[in-house]
Amino acid sequence: MKLAKILLVALSVVGAFSNPAAAQIKIGVAEALTGNAAQYGVPIRKGFELALGEINGSGGINGKKIELVIEDEQGKKEEAINVFKKLIFQDKVLMLFGPTLSNSAQASDPVAQGAKVVVFGTSNTADGITSIGNYVFRNSVTEADILPVTLKVAAQKTGLKKVAVLYGNDDIFTKSGYDNFKKALDTLKIPVTTTETFAKGDVDFKPQLTKIKSSNPDAIVMSALVAEGAPAMVQARQLGITLPFIGGNGMNSPKVFDLAKDNSDNLWVGSPWSSENPVEENKRFIAAFQKAHGALPDQFAAQAYDAMYIVAQALKKVKLTGKLEADRTALRNALPAVQINGATGAFKFRQVQDKDGKPAGYDAVQTAIVMVTKGNQYVIQK
Amino acid sequence: MEWLETFWATYSTLVLSIGTNVLLALSIYLTLACGLLTVANAAFMGIGAYTAALLSLHSGLPFYLSLMLGALLPAAVALLLGPPTLRLSGVYLAMATLAFGEIVRIFLLNAENLTGGALGLNGIPQHSQWFDVLVLVVAAIYLLLRCAGSRIGRTMVAICQDEVATELMGLNVRAYKLFAFVLGAGLAGLAGGLNAHFTFFISPNEYGFDRGVEILAMGVLGGTGSPWGAVIGGVLITLLPELLRGLGNYRPLINGVILIVIILYSPKGIWDLTRYLRRGGAAS
Repeated sequence: MKLAKILLVALSVVGAFSNPAAAQIKIGVAEALTGNAAQYGVPIRKGFELALGEINGSGGINGKKIELVIEDEQGKKEEAINVFKKLIFQDKVLMLFGPTLSNSAQASDPVAQGAKVVVFGTSNTADGITSIGNYVFRNSVTEADILPVTLKVAAQKTGLKKVAVLYGNDDIFTKSGYDNFKKALDTLKIPVTTTETFAKGDVDFKPQLTKIKSSNPDAIVMSALVAEGAPAMVQARQLGITLPFIGGNGMNSPKVFDLAKDNSDNLWVGSPWSSENPVEENKRFIAAFQKAHGALPDQFAAQAYDAMYIVAQALKKVKLTGKLEADRTALRNALPAVQINGATGAFKFRQVQDKDGKPAGYDAVQTAIVMVTKGNQYVIQK
Repeated sequence: MEWLETFWATYSTLVLSIGTNVLLALSIYLTLACGLLTVANAAFMGIGAYTAALLSLHSGLPFYLSLMLGALLPAAVALLLGPPTLRLSGVYLAMATLAFGEIVRIFLLNAENLTGGALGLNGIPQHSQWFDVLVLVVAAIYLLLRCAGSRIGRTMVAICQDEVATELMGLNVRAYKLFAFVLGAGLAGLAGGLNAHFTFFISPNEYGFDRGVEILAMGVLGGTGSPWGAVIGGVLITLLPELLRGLGNYRPLINGVILIVIILYSPKGIWDLTRYLRRGGAAS
């Protein structure tokens, strides 16, 4: 007991450094800011902070300012749970953003659901996250919604009849992408000539590509992240395979043009966000981001930026009473009705069902933008 | 008692993690104490976690039974794996056990119908309570302390010091090594089962190389001279990142520096340092 008391004192003393007081509306952010997933977590944080500056700069929410309590969850499930509990029970935040990875969300979102605190994911795309419960929200469009559209557009434009499939089978994101590609291919009745797999960190894809080449497809459907997907494209071109590649969200990154240099043409991807999307909100977001960080934003920053505006709109309709539990529930009840036009276009929520068919959390409803790469640039296809 | 409620609500997972990490540290202590460098403990933890979680999800077995089976299966696997691999020593043993760990991880990834593949298992019931973890950790420490003070423990130290001499004294070195390996696997499996039942979700990549190194770090940092060394290592490796949370982005950096300083000034682990202090400076 004494040990626990000492521990509590030590933890709260250390914790005090990161908790400036005088918060009016406290929102917790749990993202992977160090470790492998930091490549997503860091842009997400920048997106939140950009939107926060704009919202607080223009008067805040009904006169109150939003304050973010940002914690690093390192992309690990235990860390995500620890951080969620700290934010909910110790920092007493109104709601939570995060975590970065779907794996962590599977572990930490039930904590938020159990405590009846809204958890809002901006980068969790795996199936089943929002089935956890009715306090779970996300504005990251799932691959299940995007990939069928990408495939349909690519099939129309290129006239493909049969495809080969290549995917990473040891990663939740690429595996989940493959499952959705497979479903979409079945629905569209496109035959698959061969299905090949690789693992994270692989550098040689020639055995798989040679096999794909000999199966004679019209296109290669690939569920990969850029780190493996871009080298696979380069090696395909070296083997004389000029077929179009159809990728998932993981291939929608300007890094493709660095990694695949002059072999990046003819890659089809779908995404809720594109740097080329000419809507007004997106132009404003890109300009503001460039001004703040001196670099182009990516999709993760865009989704975080929009998420903050979605929450801001819900908060404007909530009468905050100062009673934490009532306010948390009031925010939860106000969120589903929010509709905005953001950097990722028109947005609204759609309620999903859990395993037993009962209404659960909320997914995003957004139109996918299909793009093809040409001359080191994304070109939007209508 | 409000502070206790807040403390428990905030840090219950951390406290339970300390418990399971102590079990993991004890599991690697067993083999390290024999001078065996094995890094398969993460894989045994994975086998235990998947066994216990799958039983909880799909069979009506009581939790304690699933947990025990989650400890027995890795022990059984270790019993089969031990005889051929424990003939190796040094880095060769490390390589063989590392390869075994990869095989387990890749098996879990590909046995999709059973394990859910890369998508993992979710919705695991929250059965692990603090008293379960406490009782098992205390029992494991007691068992290993009794071992350490007995003929078994002294033989293990002897094997670590000089394997050939121990064998020439007529002791069955191979049997003792296998005992340490199998018991270690069981403890790691137990830790895996407990961990799966308070974190909602498990996936194959949690039980890869990173986790293996983390477990090894607990064992080495705490010291292999006594089970208490493993306990110290397990507690410290779990608690340190949480205590440093206020440092923000510098946290992993400072965390690493602290570990390096400890190992530099006490290469045999923290336990060795406490012994030195207790003897009032009479260096060992």
